[in-house]
Amino acid sequence: MSADLQVVWEVMKWPLAACLLFPPILVYLGLHVVEREVIFVDLALAQVATLGTCVALLMGYHFDDRATFWISLAVTFLGAAFFSWSRSTEKGPVPQEAIIGITFVVAAAGVILLLSRVAGGKEELEHLLTGDILNVTKGAIGQRILVFAALGAFYAAFHQRFVLISSDPERAFASGIRVRLWDFLFYAAFALVVVSFVRLAGVLLTFAYLIVPAVCGTMLAQQWMKRLVIGCAVAAAAGLLGLWTSYQLDLPTGAAIVCASGVLLAIVGVFVSIRRRA
Amino acid sequence: MLNPKQFAAFALMAVAATGSPAAAQLRVVATTPDLASLAREIGGSTVSATALAKPTEDPHFVDAKPSHIVTLNRADALIEGGAELELGWLPPLLENSRNAKISAGAPGRIVASQGIRMMEIPAAFDRSKGDVHAMGNPHFLIDPLNAKIIARQIASRFSQIDPKSAASYRANLARFNARLDLKVAEWQKQLAPYRGARIVTYHKDFVYFAPRFGLSIVESLEPKPGISPSPAHLASVIRKMKATNAHVILVQPFQNRRTAETVARQTGAAVLNVSQQPGARPNTGTYFDMMDNLVNTLAGALRTQ
Ligand SMILES: [Zn+2]
Repeated sequence: MSADLQVVWEVMKWPLAACLLFPPILVYLGLHVVEREVIFVDLALAQVATLGTCVALLMGYHFDDRATFWISLAVTFLGAAFFSWSRSTEKGPVPQEAIIGITFVVAAAGVILLLSRVAGGKEELEHLLTGDILNVTKGAIGQRILVFAALGAFYAAFHQRFVLISSDPERAFASGIRVRLWDFLFYAAFALVVVSFVRLAGVLLTFAYLIVPAVCGTMLAQQWMKRLVIGCAVAAAAGLLGLWTSYQLDLPTGAAIVCASGVLLAIVGVFVSIRRRA
Repeated sequence: MLNPKQFAAFALMAVAATGSPAAAQLRVVATTPDLASLAREIGGSTVSATALAKPTEDPHFVDAKPSHIVTLNRADALIEGGAELELGWLPPLLENSRNAKISAGAPGRIVASQGIRMMEIPAAFDRSKGDVHAMGNPHFLIDPLNAKIIARQIASRFSQIDPKSAASYRANLARFNARLDLKVAEWQKQLAPYRGARIVTYHKDFVYFAPRFGLSIVESLEPKPGISPSPAHLASVIRKMKATNAHVILVQPFQNRRTAETVARQTGAAVLNVSQQPGARPNTGTYFDMMDNLVNTLAGALRTQ
């Protein structure tokens, strides 16, 4: 039996590390996204990041090449610039939701077009969606810890400012903050996180980690810190539950974690509605 | 107190400890079911062989699952097709399984493509233009004479890892070869009336099979191995099928049957569900069953044309 546990540990330790170490920054960003009511911006950006990856694949680079990362990041920065521009052009006749939705659909269709010219495109598409968190390596985790720690410090340093432009952009404009610039910085850092995590875990898991814990936190608490703590706990629980289910029932790991987070969200939802009625 | 599950595990361990042959079995992992079937033919009751890919899964693109790493971690031997067949999915699994017995160059690492005369080795290769067959066509096991070469390699490696059963591996190999010779003659006879018949495949996965049995492949629905069919290419396939009088399209379970049906509607061809993997079609548990099924299906369709 202990030999069995040894194997389980050997197989699951790096995916486990990935599920415990990375979600905090995703949860933090998710809280901003929920606050801004642009939930699908991350799905759209993740899809744009995937589009960038496909551009690199079509140029003949391999998925794991460094060039693929940079090309993907460059394309995603374009998306980030587009989103910050479309948000800060004050109240136009077109809601930003529409722009986000269109970006998602066009990026998704672009991925399909590009991958039809890449070997095994259909399967590649599935991999980009569901990712390969099971096969994450020590090196990949180390790299991202460095990137995410730096970004975490950046967000922590300017936390108040980001909260203000997320929750009350009118007041931010009025107080003389260069909202457009800060918005671009926000989305650019956001894009970096999304690109790094999508390459590791796929579009679906990235979206799930960004939104589900943040929504749970928002339902259960008012203050940012409390929401962040709750969100991190939910993310960790979803990771553990998903990994365990994936191992026990031998299911694809990324998809199992996404479904586990859905189950947790349902539980929190039921709990909140019962508490409200009581 | 033991719960029922623990009790069962304990009882199993007790049985194993009393010297049942299961305890000493060589654990063999094959990437695909056809290779696993050969391992069973050669290993007999001395080995237990499992395949990582499901019979209905595209061997080029297998989804990673935790069980794959566990299986690889515990394996005494790994049989892979090689020639980049498993390039897209096996390397990360192997890295995570960290098992020296099956690392590259170890006696437990058996690469089937070694010793095969490879077909369709590209003169120039550009991955960005598609093509998953960088080192030549890796679907060689569908030619029974290649199965013979691979079986011999498996037997010699099994004997090297497990010398005390060498005599048994040798005997199993002799029996396998004898049966294969008989079966090849039978399959040849079944397909002999249709010598020169023209067929179409979805992927370039029957290029070793066709010349062995006197068939000729007109086209594949994929413009290049791994690239999805485009309308322009399908139109050229349809023209070519009409010009050459090709009436059969072979489709494996993971390939898009609807594409084949579209082409079939224009050409009056029959779309045949076939597989190169034992277990993908009903009652085809072994390599022999699988080949029987393939030859019967093909002969049946060619007869009615
Ligand atoms: Zn192939």
